[in-house]
Amino acid sequence: MSKTVTVDRDKCYMSGECYYNHPELFRMDEDGYPVVLVGKIEDAALEQHAREAAEVCPAAAIRLS
Amino acid sequence: MAEALPDLGPNLDPRVFDSEAFQRDPFPVYKQLRDHHPVFHDRFHNRWILSRYWDVDAAFQDNGSFDRAMYKPDGPYDFGSRHVFGPNILEYGNSDEHRRLRNIVAGQFVGQKLNDFLPMIDRISQEVIERFIDDGEVEIVSQFSSQVPIRVISNMLGLPREDEDTFVGWYQDLIAGLGFGGEYLARGLKARNDMWDYIDPMIAERRTNPGEDLLSRICTAELAGGRMSVEEVKGFVALLLAAGGDTTDKAIANMWYHMMYTRPDQFADVRDEPALWENVFTEMMRYDPVVHAQFRYTTREVAMHGEVIPERAGVILYLGAGNRDERAFKDPDVFDIHRDDLHMGRENRSGRYKDGKNGHLGFGIGQHFCMGYAMARQESAIACTMLARGLKNVRPKFAEHDGIIAPSIDSGGFRAPRELWLEFDR
Ligand code: HEM
Ligand code: SF4
Repeated sequence: MSKTVTVDRDKCYMSGECYYNHPELFRMDEDGYPVVLVGKIEDAALEQHAREAAEVCPAAAIRLS
Repeated sequence: MAEALPDLGPNLDPRVFDSEAFQRDPFPVYKQLRDHHPVFHDRFHNRWILSRYWDVDAAFQDNGSFDRAMYKPDGPYDFGSRHVFGPNILEYGNSDEHRRLRNIVAGQFVGQKLNDFLPMIDRISQEVIERFIDDGEVEIVSQFSSQVPIRVISNMLGLPREDEDTFVGWYQDLIAGLGFGGEYLARGLKARNDMWDYIDPMIAERRTNPGEDLLSRICTAELAGGRMSVEEVKGFVALLLAAGGDTTDKAIANMWYHMMYTRPDQFADVRDEPALWENVFTEMMRYDPVVHAQFRYTTREVAMHGEVIPERAGVILYLGAGNRDERAFKDPDVFDIHRDDLHMGRENRSGRYKDGKNGHLGFGIGQHFCMGYAMARQESAIACTMLARGLKNVRPKFAEHDGIIAPSIDSGGFRAPRELWLEFDR
């Protein structure tokens, strides 16, 4: 089953934790918000990155579903 | 406040970087760099220099081009010197190993974990103040700022209180060794070894029988099933003394210096509203931060401003210069705690803020952004608030002061006043 990562921009305050720790999944846009690089996550290692990012996000702005 | 900086014109003799005048007041040279040489090839020291706000920001962000570890053509990294701290986070460059080590411990210095330690910071500040409260005068650097952060770290680690003074002694020797080198360095390394011998059995004990203290948490923190080795824990503790202790020590001294000498008028505001100590912290970290320079190596050719920095070149990022860039801040040479163009609250690793303002560069940015950013801010604000509250009618003891100085800006030397004498009513 593939999964999707979404970022809630209203909650996100650009701490950067997601894109500096998981460059395989996020990058920073011009304004400092994360851009999700992979639409559908099929790969187990990537899913692990997504789960860690969601856990660690200080704004609870990342969702994996 | 600030006079207009002298215009030095385009001619820049790189030997100026070694001068005492530069260690004292680097800002005219920084302006010369920003105005005339945004990419400066310093052939005398065999390095390149970036000084504009957005260029320093971009280099910090660009992991693909700028690495903190020495780049080696035949292997990923030539690890930085470990002779002082042992294996530690500073030497792993931009690698995955760096991310692993950082993430094992980073969570200990933010959020609720940090909040748990705040009452203790209050208590320690108060204890240190009580030692001189009846004297009517105090030399802040030796009697206060160099005392509080190290005692805070000792208590965070959960070391027995009766050993605290010994721990402070090791700290002072280690820091003197890093700052002055030579025979001081030998003493500093001995202090580090004594500390390691002292802490070794504690690590063993807390690995099997952990408590709530930082040492236990570092020993047992896991990331993807991995823990820090004993050597890594020891390296981290030694690093903590310099990166977390000495820096905050200097931050507190600088904040008081600016309130006593640069903006005594704004000290009145801070007395009325102690929450403004956080603004003092932020503006200090912009105007004349504790650390002015960080070093990087290029891992590929970088073209900027019509120059090409070759691969494997050493590059200095002058945060201290970027912070004074008129492209990012208006009237950059004025110290003002009410500045409306500086993000005043807590820093972000991205250097980007919802209020749309620019942040100071004093903690770096990006992958190596200071791990202790939240702790440094809270601790400095608490210690300053307690001191301002404790000392009645506090004022400078001497009308003149010879200012802030660094042992060596370019090798990351921390900036602070050498001494700062205050008087107060008994
Ligand atoms: C006002 C006080 C402080 C200042 C001015 C400061 C400054 C800095 C700077 C400029 C960097 C970036 C280094 C780079 O880009 O290569 C840094 C990194 C670091 N700081 Fe701080 N710091 C302070 C307080 C602290 C505290 C309290 C801690 C304790 C946890 C700490 C731990 C670290 C660590 C471990 C790193 C390396 C992070 C990494 O490489 O990922 N610092 N600091
Ligand atoms: S970790 Fe959370 S708050 Fe930080 S940049 Fe990513 S989404 Fe935003």
